[in-house]
Amino acid sequence: MLPQLHNKPVKAAARKVMGGALVGALAALSMPAAHADEPKGFLETVHKHVTLVNTVPDNGDQNPYALVVAPVSAGSIQKDDVLIDNFNNAANLQGLGSTIVDYNPTTKALTKFAQLPRDLPECPGGIGLSTAMTMLKTGWVIVGSTPSNDGTTTTKGAGCLIVLDPHGKVASVIGGPNVNDPWGNMAVVDKGDTATLFVSNSGFGVGSPNDKSGPDGEPPVIKESTILRIELAIADGKAPVVTSQTVVAGGFGEQADKGVFLIGPTGLALGKDDKLYVSDALGNRVTEIADASTRTTSGGVGREVTKDGLLQRPLAMVTAPNGHLLVTNGLNGKVVEIDPDSGKQIYAQWIDTDKAQTPPGNGDLFGIVMTPAGDGFYYVEDDVNTLVLAK
Amino acid sequence: MSDVDDKVKPLRDPARRGFLGKAGGLAAAVGGLAASSAANASIAQDQAPAALAAKNGIEPFWGVHQGGITTPQQEHTYFAAFDLVTAKRADVIALLNAWTEAASRLTRGDTAAALGDNPEAAPGDSGDALGLPPSRLTITFGFGPGLFSSNGVDRYGLAARRPAALVDLPRFNGDQLVPEKTGGDLCIQACANDAQVAFHAVRQLARLAYGTAVIKWVQTGFQSNPAGGGTPRNLMGFKDGTNNPSQRDPKLMDQFVWAGDEGPAWMKNGTYTVVRRIRITLEHWDKMEVGFQEQVVGRHKYTGAPLGKHKEFDVADLDAKDADGNSIVPDNAHMRLSAAQTNGGAQILRRGYSYNDGANFYIERWPPWRQEMEYDAGLFFVAHQRDPRTGFIKINHNLAVGDIMNQFITHVGSGIFACPPGARAGSFIGAGLFEGLMT
Repeated sequence: MLPQLHNKPVKAAARKVMGGALVGALAALSMPAAHADEPKGFLETVHKHVTLVNTVPDNGDQNPYALVVAPVSAGSIQKDDVLIDNFNNAANLQGLGSTIVDYNPTTKALTKFAQLPRDLPECPGGIGLSTAMTMLKTGWVIVGSTPSNDGTTTTKGAGCLIVLDPHGKVASVIGGPNVNDPWGNMAVVDKGDTATLFVSNSGFGVGSPNDKSGPDGEPPVIKESTILRIELAIADGKAPVVTSQTVVAGGFGEQADKGVFLIGPTGLALGKDDKLYVSDALGNRVTEIADASTRTTSGGVGREVTKDGLLQRPLAMVTAPNGHLLVTNGLNGKVVEIDPDSGKQIYAQWIDTDKAQTPPGNGDLFGIVMTPAGDGFYYVEDDVNTLVLAK
Repeated sequence: MSDVDDKVKPLRDPARRGFLGKAGGLAAAVGGLAASSAANASIAQDQAPAALAAKNGIEPFWGVHQGGITTPQQEHTYFAAFDLVTAKRADVIALLNAWTEAASRLTRGDTAAALGDNPEAAPGDSGDALGLPPSRLTITFGFGPGLFSSNGVDRYGLAARRPAALVDLPRFNGDQLVPEKTGGDLCIQACANDAQVAFHAVRQLARLAYGTAVIKWVQTGFQSNPAGGGTPRNLMGFKDGTNNPSQRDPKLMDQFVWAGDEGPAWMKNGTYTVVRRIRITLEHWDKMEVGFQEQVVGRHKYTGAPLGKHKEFDVADLDAKDADGNSIVPDNAHMRLSAAQTNGGAQILRRGYSYNDGANFYIERWPPWRQEMEYDAGLFFVAHQRDPRTGFIKINHNLAVGDIMNQFITHVGSGIFACPPGARAGSFIGAGLFEGLMT
């Protein structure tokens, strides 16, 4: 018999509507192949899900996307704070969110870290904060914009990456021909005075969700997305400067979507041996790009690590302490654990079981990030605009 | 004279229910009620006269409190918010005088004013309710923040008299308020057991406001009471109002609804009213498993009992756990978050109505973000309280942040109003506010 590890006998200390016995069967780990009693992965060590805070700031921005754990204390940010950005504005239009909030796990207080202006020179289309966000050891926060004026890609711009000082003030903007809707979570190598960012760009060639020129009358799938490596130099007290940009992967599908704005490569995570893993949402797979930090040419879509199975539109991705990948599903409330070496999908945990969606948790998950101690992870629930800790 | 007589008699200044419009006193009105009831009973012989009288009868207008607040709830409402357009305080006073006089007539089943017999003059009443019974019409007047100051301008010299409790409502999480359904310097809520009577009343009063105030927004509502009595159901199919403090308990009303000595004297025995137009995504809700619906609400759907209990009025046990230690009433259930126990004992008197304004194209604000034609229907939430700061604002803050029901509801309209006490005959609603300022 497979171990029945209920992911949330408690979604919080006590039962909430979406968790508990009502959905106990759903909450169990889905294990396609496992041997009883042997720990196979990270997810089975996660027993408790605690809703920490509602992430909506005073201006009403909705739809939390990116999650970053602060590596240092700087400016208004304390080490281990969780930064969360919002993709929607108060009217719930996607691609118009402009705020980053800061959750302090010690005080449990949520404060607004940054409110960006609607328009920034050098950021085509304006501001709609995406899942691309990081904080460097030097205190700089870098966040992506995948902007729209009407909540759809009909009016999207190419966007940019925005560099903020640790007080939330805009310091500089990174844009140009290689940047087009930086969308998914970044993978980052931070050495202090230099840093390497990996950013997925999911906007090249994407048109309106009303474009019905796809084979079945749907918006066409464009295979022009890229993974861009950006090298930064950070002089003491100065904002990061881009020293080089290299497209290290490309050709993943991207598609305009009425409901979820756009679908494209979203999750990036670094593994051992300089491998970069990419969640290819439309391909419903995870691929691997070799020599990520040194390659000078595009590796295309890379080597397929795993496909389908428990994956249901993989989105944000993070590396667990055991080297496994944790990836959130867009089409149900599951997080899937993958051994990237073997390509095996270990199992999935149904972390968002909100039955208001079908299947439960459909469309609710996006950002995911490990806790500083590596004993759990934070994730967002877009259905109720909350930050949740799983450990 | 009877209503039947009205149907064959040429209209010449008839009162609505068949006695002459010039009869203005309360005694005459009561007498009229009896005549009217008898006439109706003869027409609808299959209905018990007593029940019909109760449904069609007269609610008192003059009194310590305004009607329509703790009055047992009628089946229809017509709410209108107005913006004042005059620069003169005297115009406001004149309007309130005119409204009071007309409302006192309308609630007893009379026309808003004598119809008159000049064929070259507009009649004193539109006439569409002629022959209809009073239908327990109540008319409740409220003063919005804009009466006291508008865009920082003290138009009427009243800014210093604004009650502290008449706060501007804060923005709540998830609010999607639209200007065309929000705010107002004045409001009128007509409630009646006949939708036409309610609309007729507001229509007559709005007409009296020409040049002084203009309609900003309106909302209709309905709420049919179960044939056997008991708590009515909202459009989600759940009993709504179970936890209300009893309107029949004057002590509770004094504690939670009626303003006391803590504020300005002119508001004593009045109340503060918050209205919210709350759209419910019925299409989404209707597809939810009933067990899930019950978890969202925190009550069993058909009995109305709190989860884990058997009868509607059983006291909810919010500490109860199941065998796994999980709360029987989920932590984010609507009933838990709105309960007095969760809000430091705070209570408000909800007196809301369902609404149905057709269908429109909507983009849902929760995954998976459906975009389709959907009902524009939901709850016209009306709550009366002694102080909104410790009432609606406190409770709704909890709900806005944590209520799992937020995936099905959206607040799209809002208003807050100070409803002054009732008036004595010969005076007018809100007269105390203008004491010493009558010029």
